[in-house]
Amino acid sequence: MMKIESGGDGVVIVAGRLDAAQAPAAQAFLDGVQGTVTLDASRLEYISSAGLGVLLKTQKRLLGSGGKLRLAGVGKHVRDIFVYSGFDQIFEIEPAD
Amino acid sequence: MGEDRHSILPAEIADPAAAEGPAAAQRLFVRRIDALPDLVAFTAAFFERHGIDRELLLAVDFAIEELFTNMVKYGGSAAPVEVRLAPIPGGIEVRLTERDSTAFDVTHAPDADVTLPASRREPGGLGLHLTRRLLDTIEYDYSPDRRESRIIFRKTGSPGRGGA
Repeated sequence: MMKIESGGDGVVIVAGRLDAAQAPAAQAFLDGVQGTVTLDASRLEYISSAGLGVLLKTQKRLLGSGGKLRLAGVGKHVRDIFVYSGFDQIFEIEPAD
Repeated sequence: MGEDRHSILPAEIADPAAAEGPAAAQRLFVRRIDALPDLVAFTAAFFERHGIDRELLLAVDFAIEELFTNMVKYGGSAAPVEVRLAPIPGGIEVRLTERDSTAFDVTHAPDADVTLPASRREPGGLGLHLTRRLLDTIEYDYSPDRRESRIIFRKTGSPGRGGA
């Protein structure tokens, strides 16, 4: 399961598993954010390529309007995936530790 | 998993008798994205039952999801996908068998260019690229006579190939 919600002050909290089954719901939520947004990923346990696609699409849209998506609280699995995919060069990432 | 889905078509068909080896487990999964939670539960239970290092679980989940969703999206068949799990020293071996399929060698799919800036990247194309880096080994075999694709991968506590 995956849960995504506003944490206020430009923060979006995502928790659980962002996989191919949950990607459409995450995309629908993130399509509604504007400006510079911090995605609190401290409770994001798992991400697959479908989840990466959601984040990339959101980042491209926000960058196009002068904003951006940054990530905070990124755990080991998500960080490994970001490094191997080059997403660590596309997103500002604040590690969990 | 709701009653309605089961009444139409079970997402998971237990077939323990077909597993090879006393410790292996094998199941058939309906070729649908919404079968993913059943796959995750099947794998997690197997890790628990065999005391496999849970540090390996997310990489194994990732590989299974990417390979399974490829079969869902591009397989061109409604046949269920067989997933077999077997413990090996220090980890796990996973075999996915896709029947009534055309050949697509996942081990030779082109790598993604992960050096491009956001403006030149598009969603997609990362699944197999990442899968190959998270695993120890991955093999592909296709039987034209049976129209059957078989993917076998192994994951142990040894360092993965990473960015190699």
